[in-house]
Amino acid sequence: MSALIQFLTALLFLYYLASNVIYLFLLVTAIHQSRSHQQRLGSIRLENLSQSSFTPPISLVVPAHNEAGSIVQSLNSLLTLDYPSLEIILVNDGSTDDSLERMAQAYELVPAHLLYVAEIPTARVKRLYRSLRQPRLLVVDKDSAGNKADAVNAGLNVCSSPFVCVVDADSLLERDSLTRIVSGIFSDPGCAVAAGGIVRILNGCSLADGRLQDVRLPRRPVEVLQVIEYLRAFLVGREAWAFFNMLPIISGAFGIFRRDLVLRIGGFRAQAIGEDIDLVVRLHRYLREQGTDYRISFVPDPTCWTEVPSDLKSLARQRARWQQGLLDTLWRNRDMLFRRPYGRIGLLLLPYLWLFELLEPVMELAGYLTITAAALMGSLSLTLAFQFLLFGYAFATALSVGGVLLEEITYRRYGNWRDVLRLLVFCFLEHFPYRQLNLLWRLQGMWRYLRRDTSWGELKKAGMVKSPTAASAESPPSQPAATTARG
Amino acid sequence: MASAFDALPAQLVLQGIVASALAIALLIAFIVLRRWYRGRYFQRLNRSTLEVRRQWSDIVSGAVPPQNWRASPFTSSIVESILLDSIEVAPPQELQQLLHCLRASGLLDERIHQARHCKGWNRRVALVALGRTRAPEAVPALAEALSDAASDPETRMAAIRGLGRSALPEAAIPIIEGLLSGELAGFPDFPIKNALASCCRSQAKLLATYLPSSSGPARELLARVLGELASPELGDELLVLATDPLPEVRASAARALAHADPDLAFPTLSVLANDPEWFVRLRAVVAVGFLEDKRKIRVLLRAVCDLNRHVRRRAATVLAKMEPNLQEILAKIVATEDRYALQAFISELDRSGRFEAVVKALESQADRRFAAPILLHSLERGKASLETPAQSAPQKVAP
Repeated sequence: MSALIQFLTALLFLYYLASNVIYLFLLVTAIHQSRSHQQRLGSIRLENLSQSSFTPPISLVVPAHNEAGSIVQSLNSLLTLDYPSLEIILVNDGSTDDSLERMAQAYELVPAHLLYVAEIPTARVKRLYRSLRQPRLLVVDKDSAGNKADAVNAGLNVCSSPFVCVVDADSLLERDSLTRIVSGIFSDPGCAVAAGGIVRILNGCSLADGRLQDVRLPRRPVEVLQVIEYLRAFLVGREAWAFFNMLPIISGAFGIFRRDLVLRIGGFRAQAIGEDIDLVVRLHRYLREQGTDYRISFVPDPTCWTEVPSDLKSLARQRARWQQGLLDTLWRNRDMLFRRPYGRIGLLLLPYLWLFELLEPVMELAGYLTITAAALMGSLSLTLAFQFLLFGYAFATALSVGGVLLEEITYRRYGNWRDVLRLLVFCFLEHFPYRQLNLLWRLQGMWRYLRRDTSWGELKKAGMVKSPTAASAESPPSQPAATTARG
Repeated sequence: MASAFDALPAQLVLQGIVASALAIALLIAFIVLRRWYRGRYFQRLNRSTLEVRRQWSDIVSGAVPPQNWRASPFTSSIVESILLDSIEVAPPQELQQLLHCLRASGLLDERIHQARHCKGWNRRVALVALGRTRAPEAVPALAEALSDAASDPETRMAAIRGLGRSALPEAAIPIIEGLLSGELAGFPDFPIKNALASCCRSQAKLLATYLPSSSGPARELLARVLGELASPELGDELLVLATDPLPEVRASAARALAHADPDLAFPTLSVLANDPEWFVRLRAVVAVGFLEDKRKIRVLLRAVCDLNRHVRRRAATVLAKMEPNLQEILAKIVATEDRYALQAFISELDRSGRFEAVVKALESQADRRFAAPILLHSLERGKASLETPAQSAPQKVAP
């Protein structure tokens, strides 16, 4: 038994060491990449891009389910985006509230007799509407299939541009975000087929007329901890993986894709639990199989602001769901592992996702159990165990502070001193008990997947269209899949 | 019994703790100090910018001698920044005065020196700033950086952006030569196209002179820019491009022919509207739409029955705008018995808000010249087929 514990300890230590070395490597890569991107931005004039006739048209697909409370404001905000050639396709995904009526009133919607070609099969599309006020707006009214992917696919069927940008209805794009993401894609010598922008947390910020007025850190600790997670995930993780052209995911809240390619792989997979990661992995698969030279990029400056769960129950559901989505995608694409045709995706990215993302909670739990078992058997050196835990704590904190540093040296969205200091303080607090809760939620997600339980439940958010004084009010129930801003 | 942690290198763990704690302390110190420094820097910048702006007209006219502000690199950078911003929006008469200030103060020479001798980030900044000066003497330094095979791609991209920002026709030449020699292979198209368009806006013919000696992707790129900038005097060059073996070039020629003399352009566009490549047909159909020529209806009617839905839709868009002839066009589309063509036309009538007008006109028609009842019936039936969106893709839809 003692030998087993010794073996497990060594194994877990190696695992832990490897994961930390990888995170450190990703952090260093991300700092280097962010600096390069910042420098490149200095030589680009966005106004020239938005006036250029070479800037490609974009269709913005906005799936919405029971978003009556914020839909008009969201659309107002999207309609003011700075982009030369833009069509906005709002997909009303079987809303049971008065979303459609509110839109009809605000934008003078009339039935549109437009040719709808269902290149990707979806739930029944009831009707198309066009706006007498906003020629760029088209509303697709469809039955709900119970998932966001189906709604996006209906939008893909309607749109007419070569590039399609998928945005959550409860998210907020900054005015120049489309120009920025397109500039990021087309300044890339590689053949970019998709790109994701950064998703930031809206909770705590103040809005006016659907526009961001003041960027502030949320008040609730659970929201601040998510800010740190998002900074680490986007500014460190995605930036670094994209540098090696191994970006595993483009957030469902804000991403741009070549429409023809998405159609070629059959659109978003309606049965997928995490449709965003699923699509990107399938794109990698398809393009690798075709032997195409391609690039899936991450552009860190175009920003989408989204709400995150503000209570533990909703957060638990979201995290469990993300873990389910990850497991679902990895399991379905397990044949890509260590297969030569899939190159670095099969040899590096997928093994990393299996080992250090999917199995991380399992390994962490194993670590806790091993320590407990060793303590019970009297074979635990308390001093060394304490030192080891202290090292883990310090190293993880350093990585989190690294994420805040990246934010500071690049985009500095939190201008307030107090916010930055709070962020730094929370870097020290996220390891207990938040980390352990996260571990439980993720294990729960895996367990639910194994039990084939794919129900979502309701996510509670603070509500997008609130001024800071009203931020504590409850929002109407939002479409569950609209929150897949994977951290 | 041996401890479970005996297997771990204890020294390593201790060193790890110290290193991590040190890293945290350094990172936090860096963040805090940087914030503090930036706060002070921007305060100073604002104060100095205000001061410079107060004396701006004297600085530009030379009444305040350059040596007064050149002595301080901080003030000098503020003046340069304001100068470059002003140059970008200045009308020609003001531009000369601003350029004179740049030259007389030595700022231009300094940037040229940096563009030639600096490395990395400093060189890239100098190249873009040099382009923004719009001074002809900046072009050779930018061209050198572009053709400098030893420099990194980011620097060469900065040179491309700089050349584009200069908006001078002569700045296009190094880019075109780089393209033709293959030196710019692997560079992204988008900034190159934008730079060329900016430089050749007043002299599109410059692109046409290089096209005969180009081939492959360079030819496609040059043709694409030409397609955007074309003007009526380019007619003959465009006709040659319309027969190019590269479909991208033919598509660009079609795009450009929209701006050519209709008598010259129409026959060529009619041919391109039958091109084997759908995107060439698409471009031709769009270009035909711009021509003031009655014969275009025939071409568009053929296109609205195209196998490709994008071509059909564009043709229908153009047809739906041909206001006095809408009933006649409808009759002809009905006569084709192509229900996808009819659907496309109705869609575009609806999108452009003309559907009800056509229905009313048909209903009120006394002489029934265009067999109004039949047309009305077709319209209503076509509209009804669009009421409920098709839930599966029709067979005829091409990619």
